[in-house]
Amino acid sequence: MSVQNGLPRRQRSVLGVVAAWLADLFRHDKAGFLGLVSVVFFVGLAMLGPLIVPEPGKPDVTKIYQPPSLEHPLGTDYEGRDVLTQVLRGGRSIILVAVLAALLSTAIAITFGSLAAYLGGTVDSVTGLVTDVILTVPQFPLLVVLSAFVKLDRPWLLALLIGLLSWPTLLRAVRAQVLSLKEREYVEAARALGLSTFHILFGEILPNMAPYIVMSFTIGVTAAMYAQVGLYFLGLAPLAGENWGIMLNLAWIRGAIFYKNSVLYILAPVLAIALLQLSLVTAARSLEGLFNPRLRES
Amino acid sequence: MIERLESPASWGQLVKGLVRRPVVSHALRVIHRISRAYVLRRSLKAILTVWIVVTATFFLVRLMPGNPVEVYIHTLISQYGFTYDEAANQAASLFAFDPNQPLVLQYLDYVRSLVRGDLGQSLVSPGTPVSSILLRYLPWTLFSAGLGLFCSFVLGLSLGMLMAYRRGSVIDHLLTALGSFFQAVPNYLVAIVLIVFLGVQLGWLPVTKMRGAVSPGLQPGLTVAFVTDVLYHAALPVLTYVLTTIGSWMLLMKSSTLSTLEEDYVTVARARGLSDGRIMRAYVGRNAVLPLFAQVAIAAGFVVGGSVVIERIFVYEGIGFLLLDAINRRDYPLMQAIFLVITVSVIGANLLADLLYSRLDPRIRRQTAEGER
Amino acid sequence: MIEVQQMLREPVLSVRDLVIQYEGEGGIVHAVRGVHFDLMPYESLALIGESGCGKTTLGLALMGLLPKSARIVAGQILYRTRDGRVYDVVRLSGRELRDFRWKECAMVFQGALNAFNPVLKIWDQVLDTARAHGLRDRTRVRDQCERLLRLVQLDPDRVLQSYPHELSGGMRQRVMIALSLLLEPRLVIYDEPTTALDILTQRAIIEVLRSLRQELGFAMVFISHDLPLAAELADRVATMYAGRIVELAPVRDLFYQPRHPYTRGLLFAVPPVSGPLTTVASIPGSPPSLATLPPGCSFAPRCELVTDRCRSEDPPLYTVGADHWSACHHWSVVSLDRRTERLGGSSHA
Repeated sequence: MSVQNGLPRRQRSVLGVVAAWLADLFRHDKAGFLGLVSVVFFVGLAMLGPLIVPEPGKPDVTKIYQPPSLEHPLGTDYEGRDVLTQVLRGGRSIILVAVLAALLSTAIAITFGSLAAYLGGTVDSVTGLVTDVILTVPQFPLLVVLSAFVKLDRPWLLALLIGLLSWPTLLRAVRAQVLSLKEREYVEAARALGLSTFHILFGEILPNMAPYIVMSFTIGVTAAMYAQVGLYFLGLAPLAGENWGIMLNLAWIRGAIFYKNSVLYILAPVLAIALLQLSLVTAARSLEGLFNPRLRES
Repeated sequence: MIERLESPASWGQLVKGLVRRPVVSHALRVIHRISRAYVLRRSLKAILTVWIVVTATFFLVRLMPGNPVEVYIHTLISQYGFTYDEAANQAASLFAFDPNQPLVLQYLDYVRSLVRGDLGQSLVSPGTPVSSILLRYLPWTLFSAGLGLFCSFVLGLSLGMLMAYRRGSVIDHLLTALGSFFQAVPNYLVAIVLIVFLGVQLGWLPVTKMRGAVSPGLQPGLTVAFVTDVLYHAALPVLTYVLTTIGSWMLLMKSSTLSTLEEDYVTVARARGLSDGRIMRAYVGRNAVLPLFAQVAIAAGFVVGGSVVIERIFVYEGIGFLLLDAINRRDYPLMQAIFLVITVSVIGANLLADLLYSRLDPRIRRQTAEGER
Repeated sequence: MIEVQQMLREPVLSVRDLVIQYEGEGGIVHAVRGVHFDLMPYESLALIGESGCGKTTLGLALMGLLPKSARIVAGQILYRTRDGRVYDVVRLSGRELRDFRWKECAMVFQGALNAFNPVLKIWDQVLDTARAHGLRDRTRVRDQCERLLRLVQLDPDRVLQSYPHELSGGMRQRVMIALSLLLEPRLVIYDEPTTALDILTQRAIIEVLRSLRQELGFAMVFISHDLPLAAELADRVATMYAGRIVELAPVRDLFYQPRHPYTRGLLFAVPPVSGPLTTVASIPGSPPSLATLPPGCSFAPRCELVTDRCRSEDPPLYTVGADHWSACHHWSVVSLDRRTERLGGSSHA
């Protein structure tokens, strides 16, 4: 399954491969397995959240900043809304935007990274220069500045901006991988058979990088979540709707942190984001182990 | 002259003649040497990156849909009854360029004033040069981010080496888990949790007193009181930077040390009877740390970028704090300047790491010497 | 004078029934199984064997350099110092072990290209070595080092001020050889010192070693897979197979009258200096895994003289001549004569 084996074994069904890989993961990398399971759990919960809790919490001025109770297991917010409801409903848009942004940056990185490596010459130099510059410019301040010019009121716009800025690391890795894979025998063979550049690239080289790409995608999701929640927290993206970033912002602005009773109100989104990030990173690391078996020894 | 230049033969002669001139040939040799010298190459690359960022920011600001110069001119006209020319002049002084000139000339003007250190004037407090505002806030960010980076680098390296030497022990597993945890959790969440627990729930730290970069009314100077006060105010941001970057350093250093420990020269050093301490420092440590320098730029970008949120959370009056202020007040010249300064600091940190790296790795340094021989 | 002669009669190194195992996930690997030999002062012993026969493990054990996963299960490694003290390296630790290394016994490794710390100048690494053994007098170290470097035909001024990457592989290995003699050890172990080098450099290194031994007189253990190469420098040769010494003899005896089918096979695997190339024969099969050794003689599966006895009973080291031992039940039948080979019926061209 790793790159070293040469041509991917296509005869096995995808399901079989995934099952075998999961079993292998459980045996060798308990943390990675746990990470993967919790990613599925959290993402599932966040996606289904609005279905489980169809109504947003209703403001109730008589119930402001209440401590946890049976009715409100995580207490209430500054308007008396149920915190648990908000946490359950607040993950979907964050995750969707993050996935969208990561998809975009992965697509950019794969396309231009492999083209740069494959074509070389001017394409490679120009891509290299642009990559270097984008990589040195700190991403978050740039997003912050851009938010002054562009009204980030639509989720896809946020995803677009984040996605457009976060491809350089993966691009470099893809380029390096393609450069080394290019010399492998099976690519030579494919070239000798007269297959097109496009076919060689997408049919032969990239499938062999699949675990690495999935890993970078996962890391990309965490980075996009970071940027997104950061922007909401600073109030630089419009505070409309429900999500964890807005929860953080309101808890902060309305002084919830200074009430002893509402510690769960502010901790709920913090924990939700932190746990999701942690499980994503753990899962990504186990993918890295899959890609590079040398790392898995310990 | 033109006719002569058109014939290829005289082109060659001209070039040869030029090269033979001492000044030109010397210049060529210098260029040749520069392209080989690692440090100079790196410095040139840093300058090139700064130039690209300056240019990109300039045109981005000018071409943005809500072009701040136009917006400002229109505000002046509609609110204060300025004529267009008056408004444009006013805008020119604030933005350090003249909106009536062609874009290219504006750009040249802008670059020229940048080189002189003139970053324009603040929109919000007219008459105040942006550079003087920057100078008040920038040192605090450089100080806290730099201290945070340094501490986490040194600590992370030591812990990473410890983990590698004690591979498989309880302490290794514990530190690996902690490292992965802090690597994954966003820095602003760590900052929030620090405030909520240390400041409010446990009440151990007077977080409101710790706000600001320095206590008001304190005389700056190299006095114990001043230094303690500065450290007191920077403690929480620095702690956050350390906590959120130390994980990557630890894990990177651990894997780098593990692979260095397998190198032949370490076995040979042991065979030579060298003491464990000497081997750890000069043979393992020094080699294991080299690949980590490539990550310094990323860490610097992360910390300086994170300062925008962290300084807001702790109300630490650095440049990140100022950036948010500028954005909320739509102070475009200030915003633009802060963004440039942030980028330049990251590029500077990168360059510094490169220089240090070339000092530590003779394979880089000596390449140039070989080339000249 | 009598004392000196007395000393010459006593071995520098006595390895006594040494057993070393690696404990890994795949079970126990029997890397060294009861190795036993003596090495006299000024003597040169070649340890010959295919890769994975335990010879490098043995070499590391002699320096007390085994990795953590390895364990010395039984046996002793006895060193006799110049002043007649004897100690067991297996029992040394910490300070004592560090003092012993390089001063009593130095080692040159096969990783010629990577034996020096890439970030320190050669001179600093020489100084490191000297300081570790309490030599603080820089000029004396410098003089000694320059003398040695000249002996290995290097320009001391240039080499000492260089970083390792500025020297070629052959130069680095020569520096290493010079460095191994810096503290005038009584014994030097050479673990495949020429493997990573090209054929001409190999030659040069062998010549350097030969002249150094004449000049300075030290005992040496030469570990190699290359029998003829090792034979050039050896007084005696020990053939190792699957963690054991299967034959030990003076170099001439071993060449002209091998008493173990494995040694014989190694001799046939080398093209003869004269005669047709078709007589080159490789030993069929491959060495056994040290984790799952067959019962009886470990060479039995590849041996042409194999009998039922070989498969059940591991042969002891028989004394087969003056100063000649072989671990083969049928040592008396082994002969360089081609007929025995045909008897076995498994020769490969």
